[in-house]
Amino acid sequence: MDILQHLLVYITVALAVGYLVNKFLIPKSLFSGKKRNNKACGDGNCGCH
Amino acid sequence: MSKQIKVALIGNPNTGKTSVFNQLTGLKQKVGNYPGITVEKKEGICKLPRGVKAHILDLPGTYSLNTTSLDESVVVELLLNKNDKDYPDVAVVISDVENLKRNLLLFTQIKDLRIPVILVINMADRMSRTGISLDISLLEEKLDTKIALVSTRKGTGIERIKELITDYKNLSISPNIDSTVIAPEYFDKLKATFPNEDLYKLWLVITQDVNFMPIKRNPISIPSSFDTKSKSELKRLQQKETILRYQFINGILKQAYKVDLNVAKGLRATLDKVLTHKIFGYAIFFIILLTIFQAIYDWSSYPMDFIDELFASASEWVKDSLPPGVFTNLIAEGILAGIGGIVIFIPQIAFLFLFIALLEESGYMSRVVFLMDKLMRPFGLSGKSVVPLISGTACAIPAIMATRTIENWKERLITILVTPFTTCSARLPVYLIIIALVIPEGRVFGLSYQALTLMLLYLLGFGAAILSAMILNKIMNIKSKTFFVMEMPNYKLPLIKNVVYTVWEKTKSFVLGAGKIILAISIILWFLGSNGFSDDFTNAETIVKNRIENQGYTDFHKSNIENSLQSYSIALKDSIDKKVYTIGQASIIDSLRTKETSLQKKAENEEIASYKLENSYMGYMGKAIEPIVRPLGYDWKIGIAVLTSFAAREVFVGTLATIYSVGSDEEETIKNRMAAEVDPKTRKPLFNMASGISLLLFYAFAMQCMSTLAIVKRETNTWKWPAAQLVFMSLFAYIVALIAYQILK
Repeated sequence: MDILQHLLVYITVALAVGYLVNKFLIPKSLFSGKKRNNKACGDGNCGCH
Repeated sequence: MSKQIKVALIGNPNTGKTSVFNQLTGLKQKVGNYPGITVEKKEGICKLPRGVKAHILDLPGTYSLNTTSLDESVVVELLLNKNDKDYPDVAVVISDVENLKRNLLLFTQIKDLRIPVILVINMADRMSRTGISLDISLLEEKLDTKIALVSTRKGTGIERIKELITDYKNLSISPNIDSTVIAPEYFDKLKATFPNEDLYKLWLVITQDVNFMPIKRNPISIPSSFDTKSKSELKRLQQKETILRYQFINGILKQAYKVDLNVAKGLRATLDKVLTHKIFGYAIFFIILLTIFQAIYDWSSYPMDFIDELFASASEWVKDSLPPGVFTNLIAEGILAGIGGIVIFIPQIAFLFLFIALLEESGYMSRVVFLMDKLMRPFGLSGKSVVPLISGTACAIPAIMATRTIENWKERLITILVTPFTTCSARLPVYLIIIALVIPEGRVFGLSYQALTLMLLYLLGFGAAILSAMILNKIMNIKSKTFFVMEMPNYKLPLIKNVVYTVWEKTKSFVLGAGKIILAISIILWFLGSNGFSDDFTNAETIVKNRIENQGYTDFHKSNIENSLQSYSIALKDSIDKKVYTIGQASIIDSLRTKETSLQKKAENEEIASYKLENSYMGYMGKAIEPIVRPLGYDWKIGIAVLTSFAAREVFVGTLATIYSVGSDEEETIKNRMAAEVDPKTRKPLFNMASGISLLLFYAFAMQCMSTLAIVKRETNTWKWPAAQLVFMSLFAYIVALIAYQILK
């Protein structure tokens, strides 16, 4: 049980780090070849915050 | 797959294009009762009768095809380029029934481009109140088009638009006006030089640069035989064209558009007189602001307390119900504490957005913009900068995009640079928690000190924006000023549906947008705070227990145990005196001993947790940055919170909530945890008036939003300006916070 709990913690931390790196450090254009879509900005999906 | 009909929604600003777009597509783009909401094109799909589908494009508002700004150029660029993938099969021109004359100028220009056009006359529900009557069939005949009379407010006429779009092939594409009469010789030469081109389209291409420069396009190769005209000559011809169009429109409206002046009452004029008055206008706005901030405090205290308690209980439940272990601790101390730190602010954020939505929907916000225009001119800001600065109170990102309406590049740049000073909703959680901790709860004239402080912070942000603009204006030496022409929309009773939707969407965006970052940061911080590499961390329990055995508890815990025991003893004696309990002396001593043991155990656990945290990875990081934040009155834990909130400001509260709950056995509310923090050096509460004001000022001025920096880069096309913004604002915030702390400590 203890090993499982540690494993879950490492997975969760890795996911959290991955999310932040993806959000702030990797430009979207790197994968899509396109500029980031900001058409819906101001309507809840603009990536603010 | 059948071909979709490509439809472009075009019209003057604030005619309800986005409302029509939403009703046609079923999407829910933001609408508002003031111009400039749409600055980029938006797309959606509309299902039409007989199984046909249409691709609907909502374009930014423009008064004519003679563009003067970046957002307007989007429309012209599209209509002049047949090769554009979005070039419309049919244009739907949205007009406002009360401003039909001005709206028809744009209609006739699009019609003359030989694009099938449908005229939508919106806001039909206001016709009876304003005494307007229309002869639709006569209008259709004279304008050579099909008309849909629509009220997006009541949802009428939308089916008619759909039918007309479906049958767009039956629409006439003959022009309304022969523009060549303004300069027959010039147009004859143009025709001779470009025999295969549409003359009016050529004319628009030639005159695009007259009012606005920065559109990048391939230059037209004009043969040397063609005698081009100077800019001033072209401008004069453009004016002649406009006069010609208005003559045509006036002739039609004289017959088909009637206004009964007895019905059109002067309520709007009276309200405008008061609300835009040079003294009363500002006084009313000030009172409205005070009411909003007071209401935010008064109305949200109960739901906030409820949420706070809920998360504390949830943490306790998790620890009690799940198998003990590190993952359970992560959920209870990291995830729930971090998320609770932001969810608690939902009531206040929702109330703020509710008031903003009501002001926007009612039409009052436009009057505020008008008032602010007068106020800001002496500081060198363009009148058009007001809309971005006011909408910046929600989020700086759409506000920076709204600067596209400003024609002059330098004025636009200044507005982009100063907009992040206005108090966005992300600052609100930080302000609210710090104010609650350091500002007393008293009232003056029925207004709480806390609400007044919050309003002062909003005014401070706005003041910083206009002062910075004044300085930048002097440095950049702008000579030409943009004149601000804004149409005052009518007053409307806010539509509950729109208001509720706006509040829901904005709050959801705040919680989900910020929530994901806060969740991720909370998890990482918990991990860094719960793990360490040094022997001090590994053997924390033994080290602390030995220290307590040899030297006793720290001064803080010693006095805490004494005070708590004294309070318990008094309460126990009081209960015995009142005959609540009847126990003997031995039992009293026994009870006091048990209490003392439990307090000592709690103190021991807290000292172990604190020692572990100080020697964890996070402790080492925090201690590394402590010398930088110490002069501002912050300890290393606040330093970590300030550092993480450079991703987004609202992360601050979630970070502190996580840091303070790492290793803690007591499931306390966030506010209590922060209030209980003691400066180890001074032995006084860490969050006091001096450090609190210093933090408030730091957050008022610092540039702590990565998304805003990214959008500034996109709008200015260089990293130079966001970098300058980050360095200047952060340094300025640091210096102001430093001065405030050193004076107040």
